Amino acid sequence: MAEVQQKDSGGKKGRQKKMTIRVDFTPMVDMNMLLITFFMLCTTMIKSQTLNIALPSNEKIQDETQMNQASEDQAVTIIIDAKRIAGKPDVIDTIGGIKPIIYYYFGKAGGVDGIGADGIIKVNNLEMTELAANTGVPGNPVYNGIRKIIREKNKLVVEAIDKERAKFQREGHEMTDEEKAQFNDAAKKIRRDEKLNPPVIIIKATPQAPYGALVAILDEMQINNIAKYQIDNMSHEDTLLMLDYAKTHPAK
Amino acid sequence: MGRVKIARKSTFIDMTAMSDVTVLLLTFFMLTSTFLNKEPATVVTPPSVSQEKVQETNWVQVLVNPEGKVWLSMNNDTSADYSNTKMRIALLDKVTELYNETRTKKISFTAQQKETFSKLNTFGVPLDQLGDFLDLSLSDPQEGQDKQDKWLQGKDGNPNHITGIPISVKNDAEHLNEFQLWMKAVRMTPNSNLADAVRAGTGVAIKADANTDYSIIHMVMDNLQTINMNKFTLLTALKEGD
Repeated sequence: MAEVQQKDSGGKKGRQKKMTIRVDFTPMVDMNMLLITFFMLCTTMIKSQTLNIALPSNEKIQDETQMNQASEDQAVTIIIDAKRIAGKPDVIDTIGGIKPIIYYYFGKAGGVDGIGADGIIKVNNLEMTELAANTGVPGNPVYNGIRKIIREKNKLVVEAIDKERAKFQREGHEMTDEEKAQFNDAAKKIRRDEKLNPPVIIIKATPQAPYGALVAILDEMQINNIAKYQIDNMSHEDTLLMLDYAKTHPAK
Repeated sequence: MGRVKIARKSTFIDMTAMSDVTVLLLTFFMLTSTFLNKEPATVVTPPSVSQEKVQETNWVQVLVNPEGKVWLSMNNDTSADYSNTKMRIALLDKVTELYNETRTKKISFTAQQKETFSKLNTFGVPLDQLGDFLDLSLSDPQEGQDKQDKWLQGKDGNPNHITGIPISVKNDAEHLNEFQLWMKAVRMTPNSNLADAVRAGTGVAIKADANTDYSIIHMVMDNLQTINMNKFTLLTALKEGD
């Protein structure tokens, strides 16, 4: 330890002197503690995660919409909105402090016939839902809100992926890295399998929608194995539908 | 009278073991730590289930605050050829060149100003004010840095000092705004690793608060789209469950 015992044997008188040299480490510990505190306060242990997104390039947007019209029966449009009074959040929620409202419709805005040039809505196929997580217990999940809707639409893909996962799962064993890679490859193929009718999801957001809700919806795409989705701008028809919805469903 | 003598015991506690432990802890923290960068705005990134980690080197961060102000920071390669100092100077040169091509009011920077710029972690003032901004740390680096930080935070009390890179909703590919010029300069960086990362989409990350209005995020995305930077990442925080 911090003691050094010295034997003084060189004395002529034949008596041995024992000397103990003790080094006091207390100031050293004090200083170390201070340094540790400094490093603890100044470090970031948790590294940020990233979410990759790819937007369609500006010039191609025209083609993109034409492409979507082709697969109209599988198109789902999600519109993110938020309730706010002049910049003040009125409904507090866990996501970013502002309660997001999620609207969605299948296929074309205004049903099969769409909205005429006169802006008269024959069928308002807009529905309102919410961002809601799983309320079930592990092993028996109950899906709510937008997740339930996306899952229903992507049923075949989700089922096929669950089946694939079951192949790799054994009782009480985690998947090895190799198996994980195999499973991921298989899942990727299933997600893009046209025979399974995967939906094409178009994500739109109103200007006042919180950014956190957009990320939450992008998350839903990952959770529900959606391969085809894109972020798009609000169209005139979408606004008309939302106004009509607000008229026919007055706030309580 | 005989008294019972109580033996005096030393109260000396051996601190060596304690010292050993603290030094070990200290070493651990020193090795694992990455320092928090001082940023002009504090934002809370939205939670996401995405597992992908942010790159350690070769990426550019676009910091967006809820009011729509934008700052940039550039992290380069660890190799000496593509060091932060060299690449930041190259970036400034490039953006100056791009700016002078289209603007009537020309700008230029002295070697000393470039030197100061290369040490900046986060930057973001209009280009015509950047010279003044960099000159702040000429006389007294320490005090100057404080002043620069205050300027970036918009708290230095000078109404003429603008913080944030000028950015506006403009889809005009002919007349780029300053944010677009900066991003274009980033894409033209001599650091080929960063240029590759930017092309692949992992090199540009948008950091914004979960509460930010979508209109502001949309404006930033729109600006990137205008210069055909269609792939990028969003910085998120880890979310448990789901």
